[in-house]
Amino acid sequence: MATNPFAEYKWQALFTDWRLFADGLTVTIEVAIVALLVALLLGILFGVAGVFPNKNLRILNRVYVEFFQNTPLVIQVIFLYHALPHLKIILPVFAIGSLGIGIYTGAYMAEAVRSGILAIPRGQLEAGLSQGFTYFQAMQYLILPQAKKIILPSIANQGVNLIKNTSVLAMIAGGDLMYQADSWSGMNMYYGPAYIVTGLLYWLLCFPLTKYVKHLEGSSEVRS
Amino acid sequence: MNLSKKKMLTLGLAVITAFGLLAAGCGGDTKKDDAKKPAAVANDGIQKIKDRGVLKVGCKVDVPKFGFKDPKTNKIEGFEIDLAKVIAKKILGDENKIDLTGVVAKTRGPLLDSGEIDLCIATFTITDERKQTYNMTSPYYEDPVGFLVKKDSGIKSIKDLNGKNIAVPQGATTRKGVQEAADKAGVKVPFSEFPTYSECKTALSAGRADAYAMDTSNLLGYIDDSTEILPDKIAPQFYGAATKKDNKALFDLVEKTFEDMKKSGEMDKLLTKWNLKK
Repeated sequence: MATNPFAEYKWQALFTDWRLFADGLTVTIEVAIVALLVALLLGILFGVAGVFPNKNLRILNRVYVEFFQNTPLVIQVIFLYHALPHLKIILPVFAIGSLGIGIYTGAYMAEAVRSGILAIPRGQLEAGLSQGFTYFQAMQYLILPQAKKIILPSIANQGVNLIKNTSVLAMIAGGDLMYQADSWSGMNMYYGPAYIVTGLLYWLLCFPLTKYVKHLEGSSEVRS
Repeated sequence: MNLSKKKMLTLGLAVITAFGLLAAGCGGDTKKDDAKKPAAVANDGIQKIKDRGVLKVGCKVDVPKFGFKDPKTNKIEGFEIDLAKVIAKKILGDENKIDLTGVVAKTRGPLLDSGEIDLCIATFTITDERKQTYNMTSPYYEDPVGFLVKKDSGIKSIKDLNGKNIAVPQGATTRKGVQEAADKAGVKVPFSEFPTYSECKTALSAGRADAYAMDTSNLLGYIDDSTEILPDKIAPQFYGAATKKDNKALFDLVEKTFEDMKKSGEMDKLLTKWNLKK
């Protein structure tokens, strides 16, 4: 009975200390929202830069995407947390969470935006230009409205990944949901209920978003 | 729209139920196992170890003098390893028939529960909460919590720690002890918990934390030219060996062995060998 990781008294202890998990959940949601905004902004800016006629901007897009996509998020976060202070830059954990994860996810979103735009046949842009549209007008009225339907589902998908990735904050005492679960269960060894509830909470955060992705995918097929 | 909302709700509930069943299912299995075991076979836990021919012990690999993997020889050595050897000799007649698994605070519990280790001798502090879940022996070592600070930080006592960020390892009892001492001294301290000891030290070096609080013997392994340990010591931690709750036989044997060692002076001899005698 006592060796059961899911023993009843362990569940009771969790419900007594529910506030810790609520605090963690709040931090996770806050970090996720700010990170999502950062990621969207960077994703759109760098994504558009990736298809820009200007070669330097396209190089900038490649450097950003290839750097952040090809190094582990864990290393980026550890670097921001432990190494920057030695250069006298001390970022608060919340900033590391929202900026670090935002910049990381932004690289994936930039790829989604870039490939979405590239998926629109080049002839459309040429047709627009030949009709007297400027480059920006052609983008605004012809390309982006069509690309949007291709881009949105994969961007929303990256949003789901972003929420789950906020759990790296547990490694740097971020006070997020995962950190609270580690801290609480490490103390009393009631890891069974702790991780079930934590998993469930992450699921509740992500599930509506994945449903939304499905919905977007459906509507993009019907209309385009 | 209404329909899809309903669908979502149903799916959500289904998943929650599944989680519940999973939890309940695990619970049921364990109970069944308990019931199946005849009460008469009391030393079942020890017989299993004898059949296997090796004692599986969870130990520290990063605490000098207690359980430390020497990077040069790649061997795990320390006071707690010697204790494990004594137990192995008692059960299997050969002190080398041990299988050591490195543990951290967070993995100790799950490894015991799953049976991956029979016995945990890993600077495991005895608490009432833990005793409810595991068998814990009487203490074989007592160690107070100390604070490692940077020499140039100007922190000289617990009172100077007011408002300072304190690094503590995750899953250690240190945080509770420090909290109590801080309350007594009338100072407020925020905590940052890190998964490993070395990350606590890294946080101190990086200025992320102003002090690293941990059992003094552990801190000794991390002291360097720029850091010092405060003279203030708090919250004595008592280390005990732990077994799974249903392996009472092994627990009794370990408890008895430790008692005998304390009486015969063998425990003192080991402590002296590792320079832990106070």
